[in-house]
Amino acid sequence: MDIKTIMFVATIVSLYINIGVCIYGVLSKPNLVKKFIALTILQDSINTFMILDGYRLWRAGLIQPPVLLNWSPTEEDLKQFMMRAVDPLPQALVLTAIVIGLAANVFLASVILHLYRHFGTVDVDIIGVLKRVAISEELS
Amino acid sequence: MRRYRDVVFVSLPIITIALILIPTLLGAIGPLPPIDVRDLAKTYLYFTLDIYNKSLWAASPEAVTAIVWDYRGLDTFYETIVFYTAIIGCLALYREVVRKPDRSKGEGLSIVVKKATAIAMLGIVAVGASTVLHGMLTPGGGFQGGSIIAVAPVLAIVVFSRILVDYSKITYEKAIMLRNLSIIGIALTALAPLIISLGNAFIFQNQVKAYTTFSYPSSILDVFMGGSLWFLNLFEGIAVSMAFFIAFKVLLYTEETSKEVLIGEDYGY
Repeated sequence: MDIKTIMFVATIVSLYINIGVCIYGVLSKPNLVKKFIALTILQDSINTFMILDGYRLWRAGLIQPPVLLNWSPTEEDLKQFMMRAVDPLPQALVLTAIVIGLAANVFLASVILHLYRHFGTVDVDIIGVLKRVAISEELS
Repeated sequence: MRRYRDVVFVSLPIITIALILIPTLLGAIGPLPPIDVRDLAKTYLYFTLDIYNKSLWAASPEAVTAIVWDYRGLDTFYETIVFYTAIIGCLALYREVVRKPDRSKGEGLSIVVKKATAIAMLGIVAVGASTVLHGMLTPGGGFQGGSIIAVAPVLAIVVFSRILVDYSKITYEKAIMLRNLSIIGIALTALAPLIISLGNAFIFQNQVKAYTTFSYPSSILDVFMGGSLWFLNLFEGIAVSMAFFIAFKVLLYTEETSKEVLIGEDYGY
């Protein structure tokens, strides 16, 4: 096992651990803001993992970046480009995921702000108790 | 009870990580690290700017933008609609105050910060516009550029105080209208091939295909324009920057103004 493989496996393992810790944060923390932070880190970890899926090993002898330098590329240029480029599909999927994640985040942030202004706290346990009290008051 | 809950919460992620880790280390997601990209990726990379076989190309050297707006343009359109709906939901929560100016009468930060920010804001908008308009040539595109542009109003709210944004020419109504117009622009760009060639084309058709002759301009002078990609990036950029502008404006209302929204609930509406 060479150093490159070890580093790559370490990256994947650390992303798994990151995802696990974030899921723990979302599930166990009663503070809504902490839940929200854990959720955003979870999104970013999964996005990084997806980009890593399209990665390929940088081979010795390739010094050019994966861009087309020629405006009217020949067949050889295109082949060279394909030799260097990484998988674009995960990046396109991640772009979609980021947009939708951000939309959800904006909405979540405004809902949390609303909850805070309504109940004066962002602790879901206390909010649950307050809601129960409000409902029982309404029913009595 | 609480301790028991903590033990379950800690042990569950650990078990999950271990369960995912074993197949990964045994090689379930292929050799690590991979030396070659998949065949599908090769197809995309090859056809995106294949000037010798124009039946399938996207006329853009940027494979990601080509995938996002050409190969699966309909998906990105729906993604834009999701974003649109989320912002609408955010605005609906603050429907009583969104049109009003804020109560704060701040004067902003010091003159040094104001001058520096004025210059920086110009740069931010220029970088954003460049990211949007070069989206078919370099990494970037409508969403990324739009997000960059949206930083400028946030800076303005913090540095020049709320008054500048509240009484600027870009009112709430104008921002909403611009956003709706750009969504219509995306839809029209997608439907234009159908309308112009009287039904003999595909939705989101970019370049000429077999049996359908419609094609957006593939290049201007010797620069590849990516056909419809440029228009779609432009409309998406305007839509996203306006959406973020409204969202930040609403989220950054002062506490007093925001609480007006909640007063309504006491009266049962």
